[in-house]
Amino acid sequence: MTAAVETSALGKRYGRRWALTDCTLSVPRGRVVGLVGPNGAGKSTLMHLAVGLLRPSAGTISVLGGDPGSGSAQLARVGFLAQDSPTYARLTVGQHLQMGQWLNLTWDSDFAASRIDQLGLDLNQRAGTLSGGQRAQLALTLAVAKRPELLMLDEPVAALDPLARREFLQTLMEVVAVRGVSVVLSSHLIADLERVCDYLVVLVAGQVALIGEVDELLACHHRLTGSRRDPLRIPANQLVIEESHAEKQSTLLVRTQDPILDPSWAVSSVTLDDLVLAYMRQARDAAAKSPECGLVVAR
Amino acid sequence: MTRFAWLQSRTQTLIAAALLATVAVAAAITGVQLSHLYSSLVAHCSSGCDLAIGQFLSHDTFMQQALEILARAVPVLLGIFWGAPLLAREFESGTYRLAWTQGVTRPRWLLTKLAVGGLATLTVAGVLTLTITWWYRAHDKLGTTAYAVFDRRDIAPVAYALFAFASGALIGAIARRTVPAMAATLGVFVFARVAMSAWIRPHLLTPIHETLSLQGAGPDAPVHLGLGFSNGGPLRVFAQGDGPPNSWALSSHLIDGAGHQVSSGQMAAFFHQHCPNVNLQPPPSPTGPGMVRGTAAGPGRACLAQVAETFRVLVTYQPANRYWTFQWLETGIFVALALAAVGACYWWVTRRTN
Amino acid sequence: MIDFHLEPASGVPTYVQLVQQVHQALQLGLLEPGDRLPTAQQVVSALAINPNTVLKAYRDLEREGLVRARPGLGTFVVGRLPRTDPAAQAKFRKSLHAWLRSARDAGLSAEEIEAIYRTAVRDFCADEGVA
Repeated sequence: MTAAVETSALGKRYGRRWALTDCTLSVPRGRVVGLVGPNGAGKSTLMHLAVGLLRPSAGTISVLGGDPGSGSAQLARVGFLAQDSPTYARLTVGQHLQMGQWLNLTWDSDFAASRIDQLGLDLNQRAGTLSGGQRAQLALTLAVAKRPELLMLDEPVAALDPLARREFLQTLMEVVAVRGVSVVLSSHLIADLERVCDYLVVLVAGQVALIGEVDELLACHHRLTGSRRDPLRIPANQLVIEESHAEKQSTLLVRTQDPILDPSWAVSSVTLDDLVLAYMRQARDAAAKSPECGLVVAR
Repeated sequence: MTRFAWLQSRTQTLIAAALLATVAVAAAITGVQLSHLYSSLVAHCSSGCDLAIGQFLSHDTFMQQALEILARAVPVLLGIFWGAPLLAREFESGTYRLAWTQGVTRPRWLLTKLAVGGLATLTVAGVLTLTITWWYRAHDKLGTTAYAVFDRRDIAPVAYALFAFASGALIGAIARRTVPAMAATLGVFVFARVAMSAWIRPHLLTPIHETLSLQGAGPDAPVHLGLGFSNGGPLRVFAQGDGPPNSWALSSHLIDGAGHQVSSGQMAAFFHQHCPNVNLQPPPSPTGPGMVRGTAAGPGRACLAQVAETFRVLVTYQPANRYWTFQWLETGIFVALALAAVGACYWWVTRRTN
Repeated sequence: MIDFHLEPASGVPTYVQLVQQVHQALQLGLLEPGDRLPTAQQVVSALAINPNTVLKAYRDLEREGLVRARPGLGTFVVGRLPRTDPAAQAKFRKSLHAWLRSARDAGLSAEEIEAIYRTAVRDFCADEGVA
């Protein structure tokens, strides 16, 4: 099965600054993929490359097996929600739906109408007077009603209050449950994505720091707490991601497929938040990308 | 996409159409009045027509001024308010990220927007120019020459409008900010029009050179001759030749027997030799600036007669029958510039990766 | 029909929480054979979680023999939780009590005892392949 998004040594340069460097990844279809990274990591750039708003400076990218933005057929397969949910301020909600109908090959007008109805939006209200949450919901409706195979959402909840955020994710998950679309959504906060993502890509400074299924990642990472010791004495099949040493205690974050047999360690599980932060710190400290679990997995 | 492009520009187009309709109605009403006035005052006048013509030409100066202002302003306003924001606004507000991820490709999006806006521009400018040209038909024959109102009549203003729109769109695409794009569009338009009028248009066709004798100079003749002081300087000859009726006079120079332009040194030498009794310097208490015409005192008249015998006037002009050729050339050039702007805009928007 | 809720900070995976809540509902008699579980759409609409999580939980429950998915109709409760004999439960509680007392006598603190217990349960479950 072709990947939802597949890149190979992808790079994008603005003037002299490289926003993405040598980015190689592959995310499978049928998932809700979280794209996490600090501001300026290249998440928006990657998204824009995937929907054809930008063209690569180096390397290649293919989306659903096709070249992004290469024509109406490819555009029809991917729905995009840009950052801050851009809408035409002077056009009404109803006129936005008309736009969707006119500019798209396939358009589910019944779905669009019923969604707007459910949201309680006034068809004659200008989009410029909607709240942030309402605009995001309108933009999501537009993106879903064109019946795409893949939805890409660029920081869709960043500017929303907690209630609007929750409602947005509820809507999105409903759409996934009913239509089976693949989703890639980005955020600089893992907390936004924890509930909904089953696949994770961590992007730091234009490169992939961590990638994989959320369940697998959580299962193969452990926090070990025990008496102070030299981490070089850890068996080779356990990879230390992060370590901190107090006077009498060492705490390690390790990655391993095998069970921890050393009884002198207290083993606890790691939250997704901790995991992502650890890898972001590691990537920031410019460590090399490591093998084993966390590697690019093509499904 | 066509329907959507119309939806986006609907409000501004309908406003323009409403204003245009108002102008057209006003012009129709006053134009018919003018027709009647013409019939009664001018058409049947046999002698002493100057008075009647003068009365006719000074009727309804408000409408005259208004239409002249519109003829000059509307083309550039269309460029500033329709052309510049067309693409700049989409980039400035980020809505291009919405428009380019629906189902239409970038080329189709761009060309449709340009076509819809261009057609609206063409229509508004066309109707307006047609109205104005019709309204002024009698005025232009009686009170001025065709060349004098060249850029406000017939088809040239429509080409100006198309150029303004297309260049505005291109500037907006590059600048990505609406207000700076509007300002730059104005600047580019003014530069292009001035460059064309002053430097290019006169040389598009080789002008005709004609040498006129200064004998028989007078107020109603095609040559005018006079002596005088200007700006407190030494004595000068003022000699001017007009081309044939309704021609576009480009220049006129005093030339000597060999056909060379007369320099001030040559002139001073001539005065010394042939006009001994004429004061070469202005009087100490100047009675005012200006020329002393042929009706001056005796020595002055004798001097002028000498001048008329010795020198002639070289007139360079474009004849009246070339007016429409110039109109088509002007239109062609500005339409070509507009198309070039469209091409550059297409390249900029679709090829540039940012 | 039951309403699911989520405890995000508990450290327990979401799908496990859903399974546990079904177990609890069965135990308390809130769910009986023939009842329909909420659809994935209904659950995610309420909780904003990934639909695959719901499907995973329902698959686990189906493997346990507690529910059956009927295509087009929904997922229905078909079984009951095995109720252990109260007498057997009492016997185990008694032997656990004895173990605790001997651990105490050996000088172990409450935290140590709990740590040993948790490790033992986890390793035992891992060996057995039970979630």
